[in-house]
Amino acid sequence: MNISIDAAGPFAAKPLQAMLALATLVLALLPGSVQAIPAFNRQTGQNCVACHAGGQFPELTPYGRLFKMTGYTIGERTLPISAMAVASLSKVADTSKSDDPGADFQKNNRAILATASLLLGGKVTDNIGAFAQITYDPYATQDADGNFHGHSHADNIDIRYADRFISGNRDLIVGISANNNPSVSDPWNTAAAWMQYVPVPSPTSSRFIDGNAPYPGYGAGGNIAGLSAYAYWNKTVYFELGGYGTSRGLSSFMSAGLDDASTTKLRGINPYWRLAYNREWGPHSMMIGTSGMVARVYDDPLDTADPASTHKFTDLAVDAQYQYLLDPHAVTAQFVYARNHHRYPAALADQPAAFFDATAAATLANTNAADTNHVLRAKLSYVYQAKYGGSIGFFNLTGTTNTANQTAGYDDTGTLVKADGVASNLSGNPATRGWTLEAFWMPIQYLRVGMQYTAYSRFNGASANYDGFGRNARDNNSLFLYTWLAY
Amino acid sequence: MKSATLVFFAAAVALSAGCANPERSRDLANPNVSATTLAQQVCSNCHGMTGSAVSPNFPNLAGQMAPYLVAQLNGFKSRGRHDPAGFEYMWGLSRSLTEDQIKGLAAYYAAQALDAQPLEGDRRRLEAGKALFETGVADKGVPACSTCHGPKGEGNATFPRLAGQHADYLVKQLVVFQRTDERPEGSIMKTVAHELTGQNIQDVAGYLQALPNL
Repeated sequence: MNISIDAAGPFAAKPLQAMLALATLVLALLPGSVQAIPAFNRQTGQNCVACHAGGQFPELTPYGRLFKMTGYTIGERTLPISAMAVASLSKVADTSKSDDPGADFQKNNRAILATASLLLGGKVTDNIGAFAQITYDPYATQDADGNFHGHSHADNIDIRYADRFISGNRDLIVGISANNNPSVSDPWNTAAAWMQYVPVPSPTSSRFIDGNAPYPGYGAGGNIAGLSAYAYWNKTVYFELGGYGTSRGLSSFMSAGLDDASTTKLRGINPYWRLAYNREWGPHSMMIGTSGMVARVYDDPLDTADPASTHKFTDLAVDAQYQYLLDPHAVTAQFVYARNHHRYPAALADQPAAFFDATAAATLANTNAADTNHVLRAKLSYVYQAKYGGSIGFFNLTGTTNTANQTAGYDDTGTLVKADGVASNLSGNPATRGWTLEAFWMPIQYLRVGMQYTAYSRFNGASANYDGFGRNARDNNSLFLYTWLAY
Repeated sequence: MKSATLVFFAAAVALSAGCANPERSRDLANPNVSATTLAQQVCSNCHGMTGSAVSPNFPNLAGQMAPYLVAQLNGFKSRGRHDPAGFEYMWGLSRSLTEDQIKGLAAYYAAQALDAQPLEGDRRRLEAGKALFETGVADKGVPACSTCHGPKGEGNATFPRLAGQHADYLVKQLVVFQRTDERPEGSIMKTVAHELTGQNIQDVAGYLQALPNL
């Protein structure tokens, strides 16, 4: 699907007013009854708040986790289609320290239709259920004239077979998930696939919003084909073991909409594992867990002839989540610490650096054979009456310095140059740190209006002049307003 | 998506669609699924495997009066009971239950023994709650709760068991009775609860949660 959107956009003139108008329009169009509602909601007949903590989709309640683990099969079969759309506005604090603000901050301070998704979800049989998302990005590509073109592709997909064996007070849930994103099958929202959940717009004015700030993730990325088996015993211990390979042949729908050059090519079967301990008492629930994945990813998706041309990612994470859910209050604390080790293919390791020292006398140190990064994310959120909410989040990425990471430096004439606009990295170090404050309002359960402010104290290894051209971490501070409709 | 993939999934869906599994089903619209199966596979998620709910957001059902449970499930199904906890969680789940399933669920929970509940609140508050429960507030015309709910709060037919119920749930429901018409089947409670103060409600709820331990 290709749809052109005028670079100026229909809401360009008065962004805030346009967003409010959109929200009002949506409110006016929605019937007040429970006749047309998202698919899972129709299936169980329950409100969003039953499965989503404080109604803030997609974070799950203890019941929501069980709904997912039992394969989305509670309830009765209904029309399994829902849709969601996000309109947003991003504003970067400083747009002056840029050679090309038009390219560095596309759509800055303008309201746009950010993304829209079609969701297929629900019960198929007593044991089989599915959740599948197809996402349309109106700003997927930009042509030479500056016009954006939209594109649709397969987003998160999770198809399950589950069974539950109960005897007296013993309870065992077992299942298999066919999915396209490591940890999308996970029932806790500190999982890499779920912790960042607000859809991120493609235009570059959103490059510094919270959704693009460091989050734990797996080196293999998404749109790959995996099969995992899981077991949950007595609502206490959860274990999942899976393997991921390239999405192709029968599993090619896992990467539908992506061309060959954009499809991650994995070497063989790559293991993913997850272990979590869960405890529930009174209105409290708590999980402490760990997860990991080892993946070999071909450097060039179009050339998978040489097994040595692969990046090897070894990801390990520990995570914890605490929830206090007692109407009208919902409190959630989340913590994740992830370590990512990245070994480069031989052809990319120990290579001459692209940049020189300031006197242009010698090139910088050769590139690393491997890098190690650490990401810490913590978030505390509160929702009142499933209507008014807010959160505070902290992120800190640290890692090894590598001249291969440099996108700014001195060339062979001793001139300072940069290759990646306002995201250029002079230090070769990825260190990035900051805070995100968020406030949101859910006037009805299908609509969320939110505001995020992300403040950086470090970016690309420095707090000041990280690109060599005077741009400071705090210049990237970003405001993100969004209206999110799920229906 | 390639046509081979489509054929594969169409075949998989067609093959599995006929495979109902009534012994371990979570299908709320299948009259062949037994009440015990529904209680274990669905209701247990919030109300506990044997009717003792871990979270006070959800009432304990173990040892509850069967006629009361039947009346509530019918109230949810007909949407007569429309307090937030009722419509947010229970309308949808109960909408397709058959009369037999409702009776079976009521019998299942009535036969369960309630787990011990935590003792909360200081002795003075528990004593105030006890006095309210046993003698009411004569000068405000509040009758003794025990008159209808039994001397030990054990319930009587459509008058629910209160002993061992989560205090938070009791407080919320007393407020629903007192301030709204969202539970028409319990309209008698509107009169009963009318003169209760916030402190009275807290006291009697705390006492009732603790009652089986006292």
